[in-house]
Amino acid sequence: MFRTLYRTWFEFAGWLFCLSWWLFWLQGQICWWQPLVLWVSFMVLFFLTKQLGYDPGALPFVAILVLTGWVFLTRLNPTWATQQFWGALVACAAYVGGLWGCRRRFAHPLVWAGAALALLLATALFGQSAGGARAWITLFGLRFQPVELARIFLVFYLAQYFTEGRAWWELVLILGAFFLLLAWQRDLGPALLVFFVFWWMSLYWKFTWPKLFVYIACTVLGFISAYLWFPHLRSRAMAWLWPWDYLDSKGYQVLQGLFALRSGGLVGQGLGAGFAHVIPNVHTDYLFAVIGEEFGLLGTFSLLVVYLALAFWAVRLLHVVEEKRVQMIGLGLTLLLHVQVFLVVGGILRLVPFTGMTLPLVSFGSTSLVSQFAMLGMVAGLGGKRGGD
Amino acid sequence: MRKTFLSIVTMFGLLCLSLFYWQVCADIQNHPANPRYYQMFKEDRGVIFDRHGVPLAASASDGSVYARNYSTPSLSHVVGYFHQRYGMTGLERRYHEDLSQGRSLITTLDLDVQKVAEKALAGRQGAIVAIKPTTGEILALVSSPGIDGNALDGNWSSYLDDERSPFLNRATHGLYPPGSVVKPLVYGAALGEGLVERSQTWQDQGSLVLGNRTISNYGGRAHGSITIDQALAVSSNVVFAQLAISLGDRLLEMFRRFNLGIEVGFDLQNLGGFLPSGVASDYDAAQMGIGQGELLVTPLQMATVASTIANGGAMMRPYVVQEVRGGLKMRQITRPQITSQVLPPSHASALQEAMILAAREGTARTSRPSSLDYGGKTGTAQTGPGGDHAWFIGFAPTERPRVAIAVLVEHGGSGSQMAVPIGVTVMEAALGIDQ
Repeated sequence: MFRTLYRTWFEFAGWLFCLSWWLFWLQGQICWWQPLVLWVSFMVLFFLTKQLGYDPGALPFVAILVLTGWVFLTRLNPTWATQQFWGALVACAAYVGGLWGCRRRFAHPLVWAGAALALLLATALFGQSAGGARAWITLFGLRFQPVELARIFLVFYLAQYFTEGRAWWELVLILGAFFLLLAWQRDLGPALLVFFVFWWMSLYWKFTWPKLFVYIACTVLGFISAYLWFPHLRSRAMAWLWPWDYLDSKGYQVLQGLFALRSGGLVGQGLGAGFAHVIPNVHTDYLFAVIGEEFGLLGTFSLLVVYLALAFWAVRLLHVVEEKRVQMIGLGLTLLLHVQVFLVVGGILRLVPFTGMTLPLVSFGSTSLVSQFAMLGMVAGLGGKRGGD
Repeated sequence: MRKTFLSIVTMFGLLCLSLFYWQVCADIQNHPANPRYYQMFKEDRGVIFDRHGVPLAASASDGSVYARNYSTPSLSHVVGYFHQRYGMTGLERRYHEDLSQGRSLITTLDLDVQKVAEKALAGRQGAIVAIKPTTGEILALVSSPGIDGNALDGNWSSYLDDERSPFLNRATHGLYPPGSVVKPLVYGAALGEGLVERSQTWQDQGSLVLGNRTISNYGGRAHGSITIDQALAVSSNVVFAQLAISLGDRLLEMFRRFNLGIEVGFDLQNLGGFLPSGVASDYDAAQMGIGQGELLVTPLQMATVASTIANGGAMMRPYVVQEVRGGLKMRQITRPQITSQVLPPSHASALQEAMILAAREGTARTSRPSSLDYGGKTGTAQTGPGGDHAWFIGFAPTERPRVAIAVLVEHGGSGSQMAVPIGVTVMEAALGIDQ
């Protein structure tokens, strides 16, 4: 049954590729070969994963998401799409790396925690600013965001913290340092994401009501203190709570996103017929709103369904894993991806404060694409070799 | 793991609900901060034509922004206006989707008739609605005072301060007691119930005593021995009050069949007026029969009444947009539609004859010479302070009527003196008769 399902999804991705090819041929765009190469790469990855004995089920969904993102980036600015294309090719390598790497012997948890903190410290000391946060490091002429890698390391640490039953003060110190370093860089998004993932993993490990209440209290207190002490975060919070009072300043991005979504309606304005250029940072932060405007509710719902299918694939895989530590790492990685989707889309819809992260696998951003691919490779690897099927 | 997945599903469900709200339900499209709103003023817009292809509303560019030009000011109450600051109304609003995509509207309006009607009401407060009885096409719809869609910028604040409420569309939203123009309906109901023979004579002594109250004719005149047709022609309150008393609640049933108290299905928003649920006493019934009770109607409703009588009792749904043309839809044509057969044709022709009699010898005679052969009924609705409202409903020509009309002049005094000449002028214009 699943084999049929995957085949269907792959065919769907193929159609999407054909559609984009045709569209850009019509428009006289010359990058027609990019979706072709991407599609072939995903096919190769699919059969490679299968050949190695792992579950390749994530790849059809990944193909749909990445190709959709590519189509919309081309629509906005073909230069971005080209950059995203190269990012996706590197990401394919990262996927293979994740698939191979994760089954090796696990390093000591403190090594992972140390690596995560070191990455953040390096960013804080030598990093460059972009979009209000100092989150970028340039190495050998390449710019990347170390926090994307650091949070994966932190999930490794967290999983082993729970399974090995390590001392609580160690956790408090490490998480505290992690959040402080992120606060120093004024990068709210990953902090919130990691906090929620930690919260979820902890409750998954052992659910108690007091724990839940403590976490909720922590969230509220954290929010209030962030509001009081960090002016940068305060303006984000105001944009979240009272966007209509700051139409032209803080609330501008949020409101333009909502206008875009509303103008999409049920079936959308059609590809290229939207009014996306008015949204600031549209290619990284607000690609979802563009999809909403041009493909409508139908398009956004379908996108969410694809993410849900990805979650189902991961959960189904991890469900049968015996080793607790492996299961916890896999869970943490899956949550990193899906909680991020929630925070990004929820931020656009004003359910949560907008945090300026990318929509996984869709938005512009090579570092994020590479780390997401690596994570999915790891989940596939952690799921183990399958007998038969 | 199952719970984890269900939690993720819940999380995404929350997103879906929220998406549904913001993408489909939220009312933010026309918010001033939405740049899409201003986009529509930078694009050309479909033309609105009258029935002969004369443009009523068209867009002209000043280089960056398109502005709308209207052929005559009174169109603002039917075509509406489309303005960057003041939004949109009327057909401009109702057909915004089509117009903004470059499709044009072909309306049933006749610009010449519309202008004549506008001129006839100039300086007065009132409304005129002219309908083609056989189809329900609206030929003219005027509410006075109007607002000039070409000069909203300069006049907006004076419109707001004007005590005569120029924004009120009196044709569709003005509620008035009908006075004697309901008498044809009383006649029709009495025919339907078999309460009256056309040859039968009635004694009219000028007043009718009901307990301690009295119903008198206009001016207290006694008409003596008259038939029902003559009673309608001279507008005898005494005779129609007696008929209404014998009809009782059955009269209200007839009003309801004529859509009084009920909103008309129409291209423009309109009010249904007020129809009481029953008559409490003979005096109430008598008042209802001469149009002085609690009943409130709009000029549009009375025009439909005239049109129904003129069309042999078949009520046509009134409409003003004949066709949407252009774009992918190519053509979308409105077809005439019978709402219901309100009266049997024989009763309708009896009513027509009585109204023709009124126009030749009775109260609906025109004071100024005219070659027009028409039927009609006047009304003078007593309203207390400010003076009576003048009403006229009519149709022309007498053979196969091609136009039906309702005229209302607020505080215009007697229907015969004020409303009849206006109605005759507009009907002449509609039939192309030179004055």
